[in-house]
Amino acid sequence: MTLANCILLASLLFSIGVYGLLTRRQAVAMLLCVELMLNAANIVFVSFAHFRGGPGQIFAIFALAITVAEVAVGLALVLLLYRKHGDTAIDLASETKG
Amino acid sequence: MSDPALLATIALVAPAAAALLLALVPPLRHRGAPAAFVCIAGTLVSFGAAIGLLVGRAPGAEEVRVVVPWLQAGGRTIAEVGVLVDGISSVMLAVVTLVALCVQVFSVGYMHDETRRGYGRYFAYHALFLFSMNLLVVAPNLLQFFAGWELVGLASYLLIGFYFAKPSAARAAVKAFWMTKLADMGFLVALLVLFVTTGSFEWTAVPTTAVATAVTLLLFLGVMGKSAQFPLHVWLPDAMEGPTPVSALLHAATMVAAGVFLVVRAHPLFELAPTTGDVMLWVGAVTAAFAACLALVQTDIKKVLAYSTCSQLGYMVAALGAGSAFAGFFHLGTHAFFKALLFLAAGSVIHAVHSNDLADMGGLRRKIPLTAATFGIGALSLAGVPGLAGFFSKDLVLTQVEGRAGWIPWALLMASAFLTAFYMGRVFIKAFLGAPSAKAEHAHEPGLAMTGPLVLLAVPSVIAGLFGGTLAHFVGAEYHTHFGLTPILASAMALGGLAMAGLVFGRGREVALMRTLRSLDSGSVVDRSWEFLYRRVMLGVSGVLGWFDRYVIDGLMNLTGYATLESGSAVRTLQTGRVRDYALAVVVGAILLSLFGVLR
Amino acid sequence: MTHLLSIIVAAPAIAAAILLLLPNSARTGVRVVSLLGALISLAGSIAVAWTYDRAAGGLQRVEDYPLVPPLGIHLRLAVDGWGVPLLLLTGIIIVTGVLASWSVAKRDKDYFVLLLVLVAGVFGVFVSQDLFVFFLFYEIAVLPMYLLIGIWGASHEVPAAGPFRFVWKRFAVGGKEYAAMKLTLMLLVGSAAILVAMFLLWKEAGATTFDLGVLEATKFSRTTQMIAFPLVWLGFGSLAGVFPFHTWSPDGHASAPTAVSMLHAGVLMKLGAFGVMRIGMVLLPDAAVAWAPVVGTVAVINILYGALCAASQKDLKYIVAYSSVSHMGVVMLGAATLTTTGWNGAVYQMFAHGIMTGLFFALVGIVYERAHTRTIAKMGGFAHTMPVVAAFFTLACLSSLGLPGTAGFIAEFLVFLGSAQGAHAWWAVPGVIGAFVTAVYVLRACKTIFWGPPPKEEFAHLADVQRTEWGAPLVLGTALILFGVWPRFLLDFIDLTSTAFLGRIPTIS
Repeated sequence: MTLANCILLASLLFSIGVYGLLTRRQAVAMLLCVELMLNAANIVFVSFAHFRGGPGQIFAIFALAITVAEVAVGLALVLLLYRKHGDTAIDLASETKG
Repeated sequence: MSDPALLATIALVAPAAAALLLALVPPLRHRGAPAAFVCIAGTLVSFGAAIGLLVGRAPGAEEVRVVVPWLQAGGRTIAEVGVLVDGISSVMLAVVTLVALCVQVFSVGYMHDETRRGYGRYFAYHALFLFSMNLLVVAPNLLQFFAGWELVGLASYLLIGFYFAKPSAARAAVKAFWMTKLADMGFLVALLVLFVTTGSFEWTAVPTTAVATAVTLLLFLGVMGKSAQFPLHVWLPDAMEGPTPVSALLHAATMVAAGVFLVVRAHPLFELAPTTGDVMLWVGAVTAAFAACLALVQTDIKKVLAYSTCSQLGYMVAALGAGSAFAGFFHLGTHAFFKALLFLAAGSVIHAVHSNDLADMGGLRRKIPLTAATFGIGALSLAGVPGLAGFFSKDLVLTQVEGRAGWIPWALLMASAFLTAFYMGRVFIKAFLGAPSAKAEHAHEPGLAMTGPLVLLAVPSVIAGLFGGTLAHFVGAEYHTHFGLTPILASAMALGGLAMAGLVFGRGREVALMRTLRSLDSGSVVDRSWEFLYRRVMLGVSGVLGWFDRYVIDGLMNLTGYATLESGSAVRTLQTGRVRDYALAVVVGAILLSLFGVLR
Repeated sequence: MTHLLSIIVAAPAIAAAILLLLPNSARTGVRVVSLLGALISLAGSIAVAWTYDRAAGGLQRVEDYPLVPPLGIHLRLAVDGWGVPLLLLTGIIIVTGVLASWSVAKRDKDYFVLLLVLVAGVFGVFVSQDLFVFFLFYEIAVLPMYLLIGIWGASHEVPAAGPFRFVWKRFAVGGKEYAAMKLTLMLLVGSAAILVAMFLLWKEAGATTFDLGVLEATKFSRTTQMIAFPLVWLGFGSLAGVFPFHTWSPDGHASAPTAVSMLHAGVLMKLGAFGVMRIGMVLLPDAAVAWAPVVGTVAVINILYGALCAASQKDLKYIVAYSSVSHMGVVMLGAATLTTTGWNGAVYQMFAHGIMTGLFFALVGIVYERAHTRTIAKMGGFAHTMPVVAAFFTLACLSSLGLPGTAGFIAEFLVFLGSAQGAHAWWAVPGVIGAFVTAVYVLRACKTIFWGPPPKEEFAHLADVQRTEWGAPLVLGTALILFGVWPRFLLDFIDLTSTAFLGRIPTIS
């Protein structure tokens, strides 16, 4: 297990997250993809901390905490979206269009 | 403060105090009679002071000048106000206050039927008028003269428009103000030129000949407006819309006299500019003849007198143009008396028959003999019958223009003298002789308030001419009566004109000339030209500019706002509101940024 | 009273704060507190004029409080010979303006709060000796106008026409919201230009102070001056109605409620001209000389163009608004002459026009409140029913056309004389013609509205001036005549500062 492998894993995970974010229409799925991307970042943090040292692990913990908050807000929004439209398709939330 | 200056200040302040009192204490004004009392008291004090000045002043005495700084720039006084007492101003002050006094006393009777408030307002305006005129008469420099000059214009505007409910009066008032204001632009520019070249507004300023010519020509433009010279005379006949005593004041010693007085006052300046003199000579002569022709065909008794004023002012201007300030001043003085007399007598006639139209008069000499007699005296004096006041001054004017500019102005003035006698004869015959008309049946002589001033003014209208020498001595000019071609011819013209009027109108006939003139008058080419300039040219340009500002200049401003909003609209379609589009934009942006980082 | 200037500036602001604490129902209380605030400022201004040492001249009553020390921003107040008449003007206009607003019914508390905040800003500008604070007060004075017009204004219709008629589908031209928005946007664009120039000067002067005295002592490079001057001129000029940035004025003044028009035309437009002279010409003397031909020529256009446009208007408020554009041209012309006479005239005209136009708008407000129309063709014979209004309106007209004996004459005459003395003598001629055109349109309006046969039935019972309405005509009318007859009341002050400042302008050889 080398640093390169870890970064490769993180990159794959991140790419899957980006792909999913761009292609999925359901809000919950998009939220899951955002989680993937965040966790990819976490892996990079932790890997660098493991192989090179430094305060990376602290940031991973921070990121986890923030993720929790983000998911709470995100799921609340999804819930509201469902209440309003009876569906969680993200394109329904287009009230901000110009 | 020395004595003459104090008297002049009193003469100046008294009517101002009266005007202020009437303006600030409404009950005084609204009651009517007290207003007349206050106004006449002010005038009386002013007149007393003027007489005091005249009596206390030795002929040829030094001028007295008391001034206080008024405007400053750069720590330096650039203009002063105060009083200047010399021969000319003390004589003028006496004439002005005397005529004003007569007119105001006459008004007490004439305006009797007016509402109380109207009565009060009338006398408040009169007080303002006298103050303005006095301000101008005692002005120590051109700037104060200008202030008085403009205020006289204001007072005339208010008095001409006194019957403001009548649209014609309102129009006449505004027209008078506009025409004089138009001419005053010349005066104002003259002030600027004079100050810039000589550094003062003093009467004694000595500029170069070129500057003097420019300044005097510009000043003369102002004079043409104020003294109703052709072609700026059009406001004067219309000004007859005011009450008749106002016409008397306006035409005798104040408004129109201000123009002539300016030239007399600024004579040192005008002497430096012979070109201006020539212009004045011609303008004066043409005005005299032109207005005399028009006076011949008027059917309104006041309009005859109005055009005759125009014509007589032409004499004065011509005399001034010929370089004789004294001749102009002398004629101004005598004219003030007999023209005030004529207007007041006309007022008495109008009061008696309730009409201005000559056709409604006739045979009045039996009904109102005193008015008829005094009007007759005024008419004879105006016509220039030898021995009366008008003869001497008119003769002096004619003598002064003898031989100038190829005798043509002289000939014009001589012809005007004939016409003057002719039209005054016509008016007298139509109004006082012959059979009375329906309206004239119940005419009766007015009260003492109105007849008193008539008699008082009749005296100087007869004898003022004899004092030419005294006057000349007093103001330091030269005056000789002489016997030659001009006086004989002038007398012949006056008597011939009167005789011919008797022959023609005494038998109810007309001359062919009058039909031609009448058609000319009804067309009133000059009036229409001004109308055209105002309505078509000025209002036309202003209409176009108004539209341009509203829809082009402001349109461009609106266009800026419009363009901002529209471009916003164009750009806003980028905001689809779809989260996935934004996510794509974020990713593409991130990729581009990374590429930028790598390739750099 | 060492803090007199602070008191003058703070009194309206404190009154506004007290108003906020009052209940909405305290209608009389609101008005009395506003009037007191205004009266304190006026009394203070009179005291300042009374105690100003004319022998010493210069800046007096200096107060200095550090505001943002790291940037060198100080609340530095002082008064000079130009400040005195302008303080008096502002005091007179706000007192009469409050009196003229007595009958405002809609959200009256908010209205008076904004009015007082605005006037505190105006007082602040006239006594600020720190460029940053000057600008701050300037913005305080300009911004409340948006709400005052937008909420309390009146809309009118402007028919769609002209090459740009398509804009009508975007906004309701002539509406009060439109007028408020146009005015604010145009003035803010001007402010942006001023801001740029301000920081330009601050930076070149060492980036340590905004003190006007220090900036005056700094010799700015010619390039800086040449760039900063037009920014200042057009920036402040947009508020002074400089052509072609004057078009907010007709709509703004026509839409604004009475007292707001009085304040705006009477005082705020003067801020613009004051800014051009105090900041533009005094701080940037070389550029002032170089740009003077442009400034003067545009001013001449203002005078004639404004007067001719006014002559074609049918709405009374538009006539007065365009006449303001014309008269502000006289101020700018006086400034551009770069002579003491012209500068004295310019400052005098600020005062005279402020009083005169305040009187105009107060009377127009009275007429409009009763007749509910501003179209002059519909009026006529009003002098029968409202003689007092007619008399004062005539007085305002006379001052407007520059009749001797009114303050307008002194101002216009000095400006024309200054032009004749200056480098471009011909400017005086269009100026004089402009005064004649003014005579034409004001007297025509006066005749149409007040003269003629007694008014028709609908206008037969219009009441004359009543109670608090007397305030504005009496005070303003008296001032017009007083300062017209005896100009030295003000000229003694103005001339001191004009002379001192003009010493900075390089002579044109």
